[in-house]
Amino acid sequence: MAGENKNSVSITVPSGPEQVSVVDEFLENHLRERKISDDIIADLAIAVTELVNNAIKHGNKNRVEKKVIVCIVFQNNKVEISITDEGDGFDPETIPDPVAEENLLKEIGRGVFIVNSLMDSVEYSFPSGGGTRVAVTKKIV
Amino acid sequence: MKLSSHEEGGVMILEPKGKIMGGPDATVLHDQLHDFIGQGKKKVVIDLSKVEWMNSTGLGILISGLTTLRHNGGDLKLARVTEKIESLLTITKLITVFENYDNVEDAIKSFS
Repeated sequence: MAGENKNSVSITVPSGPEQVSVVDEFLENHLRERKISDDIIADLAIAVTELVNNAIKHGNKNRVEKKVIVCIVFQNNKVEISITDEGDGFDPETIPDPVAEENLLKEIGRGVFIVNSLMDSVEYSFPSGGGTRVAVTKKIV
Repeated sequence: MKLSSHEEGGVMILEPKGKIMGGPDATVLHDQLHDFIGQGKKKVVIDLSKVEWMNSTGLGILISGLTTLRHNGGDLKLARVTEKIESLLTITKLITVFENYDNVEDAIKSFS
């Protein structure tokens, strides 16, 4: 389900793994409409698919009845994208350092690190009704 | 993501195309790598020139293939890595883990 006004668009998807590519297509289409460079589109797509993966798997535990909401807000020279799930929340500070020698060969655990590296800002909030909201921003000009 | 493969000089060459972002698509690459191992094909080169980008799911699949192949006496090497993916490998320090070649021929030769 998608919604939009002049400067913001959103999509709500159920928690199935196939929804990651649905969100990516939605995101990239809207970014391309704004003539944003391929390099920035790739960074945003990488970050958002990381966060949607996390929301589906770790937040909503792949429970299809639980939703993930992705909202894209275009501002003057930047875009803010928020990803909200209906899970139990988590503490991002407790994630092990993926570039520590002992973690380098682990198959998982790099998503949040990559998001932090590619985005200009990353903010976590935990709405009182439950769930996790992650908002990222990136300059687009 | 689409995936094709062929054999050259006893080395399996994998050519994924598109984006590797998680979801059902990503399991195709994971399954193919593990099928090679099951068939005793332990020398693998992944040509990444046609991969637009990947996220941590893609990196995890590469690590899984690498560690499984090395545990079985083989290896996984990368070729024609794009600037975007090289940047991700650098950020995550995985650039220090994978052998990375400018072209597929050099990656194949490195096995001999």
